[in-house]
Parts: sequence; structure tokens; C-alpha cells
Amino acid sequence: MSTYWPWWAGAAGLALVTINYTLVTDRSFGVSSAWDRVLHWRNERRLERMDEEFADDQALAEALAVATAEHFGTAAGTSTVPQLPYGEPQPSEADTEPAASEGPAATSLRPAPLITQAALLVSIFIGGWIAAVTSGRFRIRYDMGPGFKELVTANPITMIALLFVGGVLVGFGTRLAGGCNSGHGLNGCGRLRPVSIVATAVFFGTAVVVSFLLWKVI
Amino acid sequence: MRTRGAILLANIVTGLALGFTVANIGYGDYAELNRMFTFQDLRMFYSFAGAVVIIVCAFALLRVRRTPGRIHAGVVPGAVLFGTGWAISGGCPAIPITQVASGYLPALVTIAGVTVGIRLCRWANARYFHLDRGSCGL
Repeated sequence: MSTYWPWWAGAAGLALVTINYTLVTDRSFGVSSAWDRVLHWRNERRLERMDEEFADDQALAEALAVATAEHFGTAAGTSTVPQLPYGEPQPSEADTEPAASEGPAATSLRPAPLITQAALLVSIFIGGWIAAVTSGRFRIRYDMGPGFKELVTANPITMIALLFVGGVLVGFGTRLAGGCNSGHGLNGCGRLRPVSIVATAVFFGTAVVVSFLLWKVI
Repeated sequence: MRTRGAILLANIVTGLALGFTVANIGYGDYAELNRMFTFQDLRMFYSFAGAVVIIVCAFALLRVRRTPGRIHAGVVPGAVLFGTGWAISGGCPAIPITQVASGYLPALVTIAGVTVGIRLCRWANARYFHLDRGSCGL
């Protein structure tokens, strides 16, 4: 018998987490975005320091554009300042959009501080560990469980290779799409953002197709 | 209200609750995940879809601002890559963390792959894609 939560408890839990974060911070959270910013912490710290230095909105936007062009090799003169198709501030990225009530434009474009993103990732680990221990599921293991063995591979070397390749696809894909389950799936779909609805439909659909291939064909 | 400390605290509480919830739903269990994707057991799908429905209703009631989001060129190919990687490895960016926390040590390899993929995306975007905001950390 499954020891996992019933669907309604899971739905309530995920919804509470998302709604609470939005109300407290006026932002959306995204785990892939947090990973991205933590992994590029040097650049993020530099941007944060610049953010603190520039009080003037326009000066900040121009400085960010120059720094981004330098760092990412964007063609000179190409502005990375967001377009404003709807006449209101565009979110800085899918996972860190500001709220209208935030105030001035410079403030509303500011993502959550880098340290908070690192704290989010560490806290997910602690939360997952508490869940595993309190439910009696915690066990050190050197495989990914019977499901992975049956459906994918029982060979440890192949398993390591597939997990790495799968991880690369997840990391690359989520950032290319601009979000993952939390950024696009919960926060974006919750706000009925078309881009998030499209992304969520496509990554769920693709996962369904690949899973059927693993189950029925391979 | 939205001071640095408040945002830090919110991220800690969110991380703890998200890790606890995701692990207890079973997203870290590869067999459960495959059963969801192959429609053998829709419990986890209902958890996700139910959460989205609740969030949509709550945001509408609370008048949370709808933010525009341009469907940029990276959305569909990125989502296809993500969906493929998710089905193969059983991990989205949060899940391998909870898998390691539950004792699945090989998930450390998934995390290594995720970090490589994220860094690769920024590099590839700067060198080849030149996509604008909303993609690859821009």
C-alpha cells in the first residue's frame, strides 16, 4: 500500500506553498531559476552590487544592459532591457516576476536576493529529508529504486550515464524554456501566463511520450 | 514588510514546505512518476493539477497581478528537452535534491547533470542562440 499522500493533500500542500510565497514576497519562486542564479553567483553578486549602487532607474537599466552585453557576448548596442508589450513592467524572468504593488520600476524589476535562492535550495533538501525520515522511507541506497531498474536499466554504469544525460537535459531545457514545474507549472499557470501554459503542456506531453516509450517499447 | 529578511525567511519556509510536500507526494519515486506519465495512476497528476486550480482561484480572489509572458523561441524546444530529461532521470530541478535527501545517492549524478545543463544553456545562448529575456537566465 502506498505511503504517499492522497492527491488532495498534495494539491493543497503545493497550492499553499505557492500562494504563501506570493503573498509574503510579492514574487514568484522557481527552482531552476534559483539553481541558475546560485551557479552563476559571481555574476549575480556583481549585478546585485550594481543594483545597490544605482538609485536612478534609467542608469540601472543601462548599466545592466552593458554588463549583460559584456558577459554574454550580446551584440554591442543591443538592449536587453525588456520590451513592454502590454504597457507594464515585463518580469525580469519567468520565475521572478514582480508585482504591480512593488512600487517604482527599478524596485519591481529586482529579483529576490541571491542568498535567498541558495537558502531555498538548501531548505528543499532539509524538507525532503524530514519527509523521508518521518515517513520511514529514508534509506541509503546506491540505485534509483526498483522502478528505474525495471523500466530503464539495472546496469549501474548505464544508470549513471542516463542520470547525467537526463540531468543535463533537465538543466538545459528548463533554462531554455525559462522555468520548470515550479516557475512555469505552479506559479506561471497559476497566473494564467500563456508562456507557462504552453511550456507546461509541452514538457508534460513530452514526458508522457518518453515514459510510454520506456514502458512499452524499450 | 518585504525586507531582505522577510524574503529570506519566506524562501526558507517555502523550501522546507516544498521539499516536504514533494517528497510526501512521491515525485522522487521513479516508479510512481512513470505510473503518472503512463496514466496507470493519476494521483500525482491530480496533485499537480489540483494545486494549479487552487492557485488560479486564489490568485483571482486575491487579485494577484497577471504578468505578461512572451512565448519566446526557447519555450517549446526547452520544454521538450526538459520533458525528455524528466522522464529519463525522474528529476526536475527540485526532485533530485529530495531524492538525495531520501537516500538515493545516484541522484547526486542527476544534480551534477542539472548544474552542467544550466551552465551550458547560458554559454550556448551567448554563443549561438542569442535569445532575449525569459531564456537561459536572461
